[in-house]
Amino acid sequence: MELLLQTLLNGILMSGIYALVATGLALSLGVVGIVNFAHGEFLMMGAFLSYLLFAFRGMDPLLSLGLAFLAAFVVGALTYQGLIRPVLRAAELNQMLLTFGLSILLQNLALLLFGADTRVVAPPYQATTLSLGPFFLGVVPFGAFLLSLAILLMLQVFLTRSRFGLAMRAVSQNRLAPGLLGIEADKVYLLAFGLAAALAGVAGVMLSVMLYASPTVGFVFTLKSFAIVALAGLGNLKGVVPAALVLAMAEALVSTYLPGGGGLVEAVFFLVLFLALVGRAWRKA
Amino acid sequence: MKGFGHFPLILLSLVLFALLPFLPFGVWQAFLLDVGFFVLLFTALALSWDLVARTGQLSLAHGAFFGLGAYSAGLLAPQLGTLPALLLGALTAGAGALVLGSVTLRLHGLYFAIASLAFSEVLRTLALKLPFTGGPIGLPVPPPFAGAWPLATYYLSFGVLLLATALSLWAERSPFRLAQAATRQSEAVARVLGVRVVQVKLWSLLLGSLVAGLAGGVYGMKTLFLSPYDAFSLGRAVEALVIPIFGGLYTTLGPLVGGVVLVSLEQALRLWIKEGYLVVYGAILILVILFLPRGLVGILGRRRG
Amino acid sequence: MGKVLEAAGVSKRFLGLQALKEVTLHLEEGEILAVIGPNGAGKSTLLNLLSGLIKPDQGRILFLGQDITHLPPEARTHLGLGRAFQIVQPFPELTVRENLLVGALFGKPGTSRKEGEAWVEEVLRLTGLQSRSEALAGDLTLLEDKRLELARALATRPKVLLLDEVMAGLRPKEAEEAVALVKQIRETGVSILFIEHVMPVVRTLADRVVVLDYGEVIAEGTYQEVAQDPRVREAYLGRRA
Repeated sequence: MELLLQTLLNGILMSGIYALVATGLALSLGVVGIVNFAHGEFLMMGAFLSYLLFAFRGMDPLLSLGLAFLAAFVVGALTYQGLIRPVLRAAELNQMLLTFGLSILLQNLALLLFGADTRVVAPPYQATTLSLGPFFLGVVPFGAFLLSLAILLMLQVFLTRSRFGLAMRAVSQNRLAPGLLGIEADKVYLLAFGLAAALAGVAGVMLSVMLYASPTVGFVFTLKSFAIVALAGLGNLKGVVPAALVLAMAEALVSTYLPGGGGLVEAVFFLVLFLALVGRAWRKA
Repeated sequence: MKGFGHFPLILLSLVLFALLPFLPFGVWQAFLLDVGFFVLLFTALALSWDLVARTGQLSLAHGAFFGLGAYSAGLLAPQLGTLPALLLGALTAGAGALVLGSVTLRLHGLYFAIASLAFSEVLRTLALKLPFTGGPIGLPVPPPFAGAWPLATYYLSFGVLLLATALSLWAERSPFRLAQAATRQSEAVARVLGVRVVQVKLWSLLLGSLVAGLAGGVYGMKTLFLSPYDAFSLGRAVEALVIPIFGGLYTTLGPLVGGVVLVSLEQALRLWIKEGYLVVYGAILILVILFLPRGLVGILGRRRG
Repeated sequence: MGKVLEAAGVSKRFLGLQALKEVTLHLEEGEILAVIGPNGAGKSTLLNLLSGLIKPDQGRILFLGQDITHLPPEARTHLGLGRAFQIVQPFPELTVRENLLVGALFGKPGTSRKEGEAWVEEVLRLTGLQSRSEALAGDLTLLEDKRLELARALATRPKVLLLDEVMAGLRPKEAEEAVALVKQIRETGVSILFIEHVMPVVRTLADRVVVLDYGEVIAEGTYQEVAQDPRVREAYLGRRA
């Protein structure tokens, strides 16, 4: 029983980061209408930024968070301006292949620069755990979970209260309207894409402590985010948190209870992704 | 129908490849044959991807078909011998494709692409975990025909390319081309005009995966060793799709030209860079989409259909 | 004369919205039947049900006496039920000739390439598209697009042709030409069911008219008869007022 509860607890803690990354993907899909295969690479860049700042400047990852947010926002905005904007009206195939190409480019660029090794950011508190009765709570996963929730709440406030946030939601709910909005739509897209990247960048900093930074860490998260977004209903922001929770718990259960489950964890996500897509298609018809 | 204009060019390049082992290259001979092997094999893979793409199905599962063929052939070769093992490897890939194809019939565009990617990753995990695959340690594969003939892998690879080219040319010149093009451009309209869309999609996926599986089998016999990370690599699917996009989609000549250029480049780059050579593929993909949406063949000014 | 196409008590709901409610109608052999009604009356749903793009919740569809309710669209086309779309949807990357060839080769299984190509020539001539046969379908004008839409449906050698507002967007002169073309097609022995908004076209073309409103058949008869019907007048005029 305790093992089960501990497992579920681990799952819940992990769901925060998943929700954070997947919300970014859902933003670019829902608002800009682009399925961004390179979304995880923004996360990867955040993780490496955190690693570099820690290794060479001794900067605490908590401080890197803000920097990563800004840096990823800028990278995301530049990506939108330089690559996404020219193909906004192109065929879906071209959009997809373009972001796919960007993902491959960034992954392998990181591979050239940093090699395939994994790099961990280890601040003094990295291994600290709190004990909560019979359960253990890693300070870092717990902190990351709370931080993710806080960021998602702020995003929620931004989307419901600010003028830009409202414009974003208007665009996501009516994909025909942007043509009428003109310049406004372009700004909204830019902001949404930057914000999506920034969310991933922040998550990357957290992951650099919880897991590691590596060239391929991002792509795994792109795929996991696809699974979450597909489960939530494509472009549906509200469904992302529960979907992330379900997947993170499923993952935790598999890794605890299945023999040799560690390696099968990835498969859980892909299986869910596959079934969610196929299930949706057959239900719709 | 279309494609007659390209035929002499295609034939010429095939003849060149057939004669490559007998051309006097001196000390470069071994290296060029190696490059030639991979050019032939991955060009065949690219043609098989294009064959599927002509129906609008963007497969990211070609790495999986390749891996299925490689592992099945590798596991069976010691008992059955080279050719039967290759054949069964292709059929395993075909069976996988039919499973994938029949459940994803209603998925379009990028949703099919993502589903095929997920399918591919699940299979790779299985290859890592199943008891008979050697897991992460890998699987040794015997050379073809017990190593009796040094040029065997080269000509097996050539054979796969011949098959891929023949299938592609057939599909390009028969009414099948119209069925594929109609299916790609609008499934609903194609069906109302009497095109059996389900059959067209499944046949295309089956034919494409058979070639991909065959290529995988030959690959294992060349590298003599398979690991799930290599055989089921997503990078393989990337190569399979970048080559046709670079050369020119929905044609036979496009993947052929694209394959010769890109795979040679890749093999040369691998001499300098061990990992990360896919950077080039990423960059090419982006540049071609932005500036050359019809690929190299598009520069020749021929329209496609 | 007999019924070639029949819908018997066909109903369809979308997300709780009743699009069609127990619609029963039929098409006689050699007839031109118009289905009219205000926007949202369920005309396009009806056509999609008849051509098999969607399946009814209730009721049956009979074609030449055979129950085709559960047949997919391509099988219906193979039996001889053709369809042209309202929003023209040519295959833009194929030429006009190739567009027609799709219909000619796959519309009737067992058609040889030679037969198909010969029939395409015939259709090109009939529809006046000969001079444009090698143009890419993506490069056509609206009028040419409409002709191609009609021609492509014709290329499948239908016994019954379903036409979805093929006159929409045409100028009066062009509509006249299209009307003449439809009449010509009927002369070749094809029965036609069409949906139309342009009333003069309905008057000159239709032998018989069925009126749909809110997914139900509210009137049936000659153009003059339904035009006099108070329920029809209310459906059209009442809505606008």
